[in-house]
Amino acid sequence: MSSNLDAPRRIVILGGGVAAFSAASELRTRGYDGALTLLSPEGLPYDRPPLSKGYLLGTEDAAKIALVPEAWYAEHAVDVLAERAVALRPSEASVELGDGGLLSADRVLIATGARPRPLAVPGGELALTLRDRADADALRDALAPGARVVVVGAGLIGAEVTSAAVGFGAEVTLIDPIDPPLVPAVGEALARRLHAMHGQHGVRTIASIPVEISASDGGGARLLRLADGSAVAADAVVAGIGIVPDAALAAAAGIEVDDGVLVDASGATSNPTVFAAGDVSRLRRPDGTLTRRAEHWEAAVRSGQAAAAGMLGEPPPAFGAPWFWLDRYGVHVEAVGTLDGRFGGRVILREADGVPQAAFLLADDGHLLGAAAVDLPLLIRAARRIMDRGLTPDPAALADPSVPPRKLVP
Amino acid sequence: MSEGIDVGSPDEIEEGTAKVVEPEDSGFDEPIAVFRTESGCFFALNDTCTHEEASLAEGWIEGDTVECPLHSSSFNLRTGKVLCLPATVDARTHKVAVEEGRVVLYPGVDADDAARTAD
Ligand SMILES: Cc1cc2nc3c(=O)[nH]c(=O)nc-3n(C[C@H](O)[C@H](O)[C@H](O)COP(=O)(O)OP(=O)(O)OC[C@H]3O[C@@H](n4cnc5c(N)ncnc54)[C@H](O)[C@@H]3O)c2cc1C
Ligand code: FES
Repeated sequence: MSSNLDAPRRIVILGGGVAAFSAASELRTRGYDGALTLLSPEGLPYDRPPLSKGYLLGTEDAAKIALVPEAWYAEHAVDVLAERAVALRPSEASVELGDGGLLSADRVLIATGARPRPLAVPGGELALTLRDRADADALRDALAPGARVVVVGAGLIGAEVTSAAVGFGAEVTLIDPIDPPLVPAVGEALARRLHAMHGQHGVRTIASIPVEISASDGGGARLLRLADGSAVAADAVVAGIGIVPDAALAAAAGIEVDDGVLVDASGATSNPTVFAAGDVSRLRRPDGTLTRRAEHWEAAVRSGQAAAAGMLGEPPPAFGAPWFWLDRYGVHVEAVGTLDGRFGGRVILREADGVPQAAFLLADDGHLLGAAAVDLPLLIRAARRIMDRGLTPDPAALADPSVPPRKLVP
Repeated sequence: MSEGIDVGSPDEIEEGTAKVVEPEDSGFDEPIAVFRTESGCFFALNDTCTHEEASLAEGWIEGDTVECPLHSSSFNLRTGKVLCLPATVDARTHKVAVEEGRVVLYPGVDADDAARTAD
């Protein structure tokens, strides 16, 4: 791969998210002692998951969500420039900045993340979206007690925004054509339980899609017309309908892009001096097939670490089963591996008083493919170890709520 | 503060679990988790994860690490060192010892290992 390249001396990382930060940190951990610059238009890197949780609710401030204290950057000789890259110039070993200046770089890591998918209907631009701190600040202002808030999209972010809006005392309507969402991520039973929480908290859920949003008067009020013929009035509309990778710079530089910058397991793109990691990247397997983009926090950390290894010409670390969490209405949900049963396997539920607490997907040969659980974090830590160690768990023990998680891992 | 406090007999804390000592009992300003590893060693850290608000005593204890039950940062039980994101700040250690058949916690006194590895 990059073995015919000289060892890097000037690395520039585009981005100030967790993928960019993880790559920078891993480069230093691996002993890279050359120049290291983070181009982070929003300033010091911060963490995004709190933007739909504590930061949106106002229980955590900007300092609390910083990825590391400011002193870390000086201690690790990482320069953070609050600037946006406007072009990659790999053939000139440089990156172009907004003022036309060039920053020399013998390796570049693209960790520019993603942008919210725009709501592609007339008036769709009237919807607020949530990706960065400024978005969260604007959204917090809109989620006032009694405000009529319509959330479009009941996936991870839409549901968390809905839960926060309820917390602020807003009157919330949640629109999503899929009922329940998140089945591939947490399985059918938990997806139903989680989706039902909206109604239990006074949220009106509508299984439809908006076809038009209009400003219904001179003020801030909006009117949404839905595909089922109904209409909903709102003081604020929020769209959480997925993300689009921010891959324009790579595409403009002639790097292979297909719904994300295509990378191998060490983050290498089709240009040997350019790497990509995090939400902007999409893994191409050795056989040429493309995976789904991960879009989760831990995946961004891991791919940043893998790209750090890749830039140094070292093999990427081996990672275990992927994991993510979500929080809503005070419950904490985690999942590891996959619950997507479309390719086979059987589902085992762990229930208490008829309510599903956890779901497991078991392969035909007895191996665990994935697990999800509500407020049972140790069960997921057990599942993760079962998967990473290739164990075959006893299905009856998985289903039995009286078996403590630790007893599942011999 | 160097006075030890009696946390109980060793078998009151099952292997692979932890017991929380509250500020009113320890005199220390934060809850302290006293861990017993699977190999029977005792360690103590501030109970609240340095990332958000989770109780490390409710985490997954394995070898000489504890993994936070909320976002999975791991901490070394001997030194308090944080081993992975999202937490980036080490956990504070406290000295704990088994003396005359009792588990004795020294709230606010660094564990010996923490002192040795502090850099
Ligand atoms: C509101 C919210 C809640 C979430 N909650 C969870 C959760 O509960 N659990 C979970 O597992 N995951 C969650 N995620 C997903 C997780 O946060 C993302 O997967 C992760 O942030 C991706 O990291 P990244 O570094 O790839 O991208 P980002 O974090 O998006 O960072 C991209 C960075 O690139 C910068 N950038 C963009 N263009 C340029 C340019 N041209 N030049 C230089 N820099 C540029 C941006 O300013 C930004 O700093 C959540 C995401 C959001 C938005
Ligand atoms: S609270 Fe411990 S890792 Fe987040």
